[in-house]
Amino acid sequence: MAVAAVHSGGIADHIHPEPQGFIRRYVFSLDHKIIGIQYIITSGIFLFLAGALAEMMRVQLMKANGGFMTPDTFNQVFTMHGSTMVWFMIIPLMTGGFGNLVMPIQIGARDVAFPWLNMIAFWIFPVAGLMLYASFLMGAPAAGWTEYPPMSLQGQAGTSMWCAAVFLVGVGSTMTGINFLVTILKMRAPGMTFTRMPLFVWGQFVTAPLLMIATTALGAALAALFIQREFGVPFFDPTKGGSPLLWQHMFWFYSHPAVYIMILPAFGILSEVIPTFARKPIFGYKMIAFSSCAIAILGFMVWAHHMFTSGMAPALQLPFMVLTMLIAIPTGVKIFSWTTTLFGGVLKFSTAMLYAVGFIALFTIGGVTGVFLAAVPFDLHAHGTYFIVAHFHYVIAGGSVMGALAGLYFWYPKMTGRLMDERLGKWSFWLYMIGMNGTFLPMHWLGLWGMPRRIAVYDPQFQTWNQIESAFSFVMTASIILTVINALVSMKYGKRSGPNPWGARTLEWMIPSPMPYYNFKHIPSVFSTPYDFGEPLPYRGLEEELTPTPPPVAAAH
Amino acid sequence: MHLDRGFWTATAVIAILALAAIAWWIVAPIQSLMPEAVDRAAQIDLLFRFLAASGTALLAIVLGYLIYFVARYRRRPDQAEDAIGLQIHDHHKLEFWWTLLPTLFIVVLAIISVKLFLEIEPVNAQGNTLVVEGLGHQWFYTFRYPGIHGEVKEMHLPAGQPVTLHVSSYDVIHSFWIPDMRLKVDMVPGLINTFTFTPTRIGRYELLCTEFCGTLHGDMRSGTSNDPAYVYIDPPDKYKAWYDSMQKANANASDAVQVASAGAVNLSGGNPAAGKALFVQKCSACHALAPFDQKVVGPGLKGVLHDPAHPNLVNGEKATPDDVAKILQNGFTGPMGTMPNQTANALTDKDIANLVAFLDSLK
Repeated sequence: MAVAAVHSGGIADHIHPEPQGFIRRYVFSLDHKIIGIQYIITSGIFLFLAGALAEMMRVQLMKANGGFMTPDTFNQVFTMHGSTMVWFMIIPLMTGGFGNLVMPIQIGARDVAFPWLNMIAFWIFPVAGLMLYASFLMGAPAAGWTEYPPMSLQGQAGTSMWCAAVFLVGVGSTMTGINFLVTILKMRAPGMTFTRMPLFVWGQFVTAPLLMIATTALGAALAALFIQREFGVPFFDPTKGGSPLLWQHMFWFYSHPAVYIMILPAFGILSEVIPTFARKPIFGYKMIAFSSCAIAILGFMVWAHHMFTSGMAPALQLPFMVLTMLIAIPTGVKIFSWTTTLFGGVLKFSTAMLYAVGFIALFTIGGVTGVFLAAVPFDLHAHGTYFIVAHFHYVIAGGSVMGALAGLYFWYPKMTGRLMDERLGKWSFWLYMIGMNGTFLPMHWLGLWGMPRRIAVYDPQFQTWNQIESAFSFVMTASIILTVINALVSMKYGKRSGPNPWGARTLEWMIPSPMPYYNFKHIPSVFSTPYDFGEPLPYRGLEEELTPTPPPVAAAH
Repeated sequence: MHLDRGFWTATAVIAILALAAIAWWIVAPIQSLMPEAVDRAAQIDLLFRFLAASGTALLAIVLGYLIYFVARYRRRPDQAEDAIGLQIHDHHKLEFWWTLLPTLFIVVLAIISVKLFLEIEPVNAQGNTLVVEGLGHQWFYTFRYPGIHGEVKEMHLPAGQPVTLHVSSYDVIHSFWIPDMRLKVDMVPGLINTFTFTPTRIGRYELLCTEFCGTLHGDMRSGTSNDPAYVYIDPPDKYKAWYDSMQKANANASDAVQVASAGAVNLSGGNPAAGKALFVQKCSACHALAPFDQKVVGPGLKGVLHDPAHPNLVNGEKATPDDVAKILQNGFTGPMGTMPNQTANALTDKDIANLVAFLDSLK
């Protein structure tokens, strides 16, 4: 038993000493906070790589007949952009990153249930990332992040490498899912009932089963594709009895829930940031928690809405259409609840709050176009066009990424003990809002007018709009660079934050910043939800956390 | 909960904005930007107007209140550092309504969409339906017409006549999209996808691929050097002239169907009952006893010799029992795959006679 001090018969009130030495402390660490920071830094590196690929695409698309890259290079670039952003940026950042950093403390635990598993799950991730980028050396995958066969069967050797890399990162995801689920089920502090859990924990709690269940389907699909490519077993080859649609079903059975893996933790971040800066309880706590569950369950029953044009049976399209539309209801409940939380508040617009409010606006746009696309007759027109590109970038770049940026500015003091610069932060927010909307808003009408996605050259009549998009995309990149500079500089020069700079009420703010190795000297007891501003804190047993009393360290075993 | 004058003013402004958005989408000149070239395009545009109007109205409401709350409730300089907001946890009536109203909206939307979906669903070809096959290649399209040998590069359709379009692919997944017709369907190797529609507006239209298909995916579009061909909706007499000229020009082109070379089988005395048993044993893995478009691996064979929905042979004639026998003898290779020949299926001549008699008995 390593760090988690759960011994038979209850929570032992002593902790094991912190390991010494750079390697055990910062590289192969078992500490969930260090692992969380490792995830955040690593996904930041992948964000940089995938963002550079995105800008390469935007440069190519400034001219209708391209010319910056060959079409084959362009195809590799957009494939790697999508694969990196989905599997190597957002998912690790939202689950492994913020989940590890905050969730165990918010439930009053000293670590996750399986620290070793946590460490292994993290280290799979950069290794898989290296494998993904090594595929450039052998001909990178070039059939889009969805890699539909038979197209992906024609791909160069790097496509098999892509299968292996994504398979591996999926294994890491599954481990994280198991780990978080057990942690939240078994390691909550006394009195931390389900209806007292912070909503970020709820977000991680419903994401964990998605990670566990959906990712296995992806693993099976990737293994089948790999086996067909390398050993010729014709899973997806119609001339030998296989079916290309089999891949699409298996892939989307994962990749639709994956959208919720990316967004549910962001919903959780929002539900922490908004009440804190509105000085109000979150409106409709139970509805927000239950709507997350509804979204997660419905999320497993809508995958084929990505395949309305593929020729699956009409009798199947109808239920998928109606179920997809139903997801709008719990999602709407969340948006209305967050907006209403602002009503009657005392709003303080720190950068984290700005990003959270920006999230509501942009995610609503992405959600509304999602309902459009659920309607099969409209989808038959919009499928495979830039309208789709606009839709999912509003959900992911306007939703998940803004949620992550809100989380970064919010929890940065808990990682470093210092605040990020608010003036730079506000600049980054406004640049992001302007850049994001300028880049992706015109894509809606371009798609409907007849611009397909994933094309290296296009109809010259669309050139002006594409140039506008490219120009704004540089603004968006500038915003991200500003945030990265801010994070790096603030590490050394930021204002000291103290334990609770925002006056928040969840447990991570009750302990010093940066957070000590053992989290809590004594495991607290919990008496209520954490959002009742103006009431006394609903915790007992935290008196010594901020005093210089030494923690009750046990003798090393 | 105290709702002041400012709140109601904001609500009024938001309501006006939402109504303005709805009004805009009712009158928006979609047709002048994108002609509606087939019968179903107008209905799909109507659905789009409904979606866009309700979506923009919802957006106006959410963004409107968001902006109002942000402006109204931001911390004023005179407020104490530890000031807190209204401690409201819930409002059950409000939550009930904002769950119920979207649910009702979704029900209405689902009814509209399902109804339209059923209207544009492929129907079996009628007597005057033109059946065309579209085939995807890396990186261009070809088409097959009844009575024209081989494949042609341009698609011409007669205005006013119902069209059934069967699509498939030679290599990877492509897609068939004519934006002005609001028509899209994937071309999947090994699968025949079907669309029905009636062209209504004479003109020249762009056809492009929206399913990523490799290096020149972006060039798989009408008017590019790779795929210069457009889709034309012609007046019936102009269509007829084009059809006749293509028929003549392609008189000697070869078809995908390998026409028999072995001697003909004697079909007299075939026993339908024996043929049925044989069909269940040898054919039913790939063919259903259902209409043509009910594909398993190969097409459904019910009424292969009688159902008008079953496509004609490439020479424009109805299939005869002899044609079916030839396919059973020689097998068949089309874009969707290969059916084994007589030897591979271990069929005697008598078996073929029985099978043909059975298929002929299905009306």
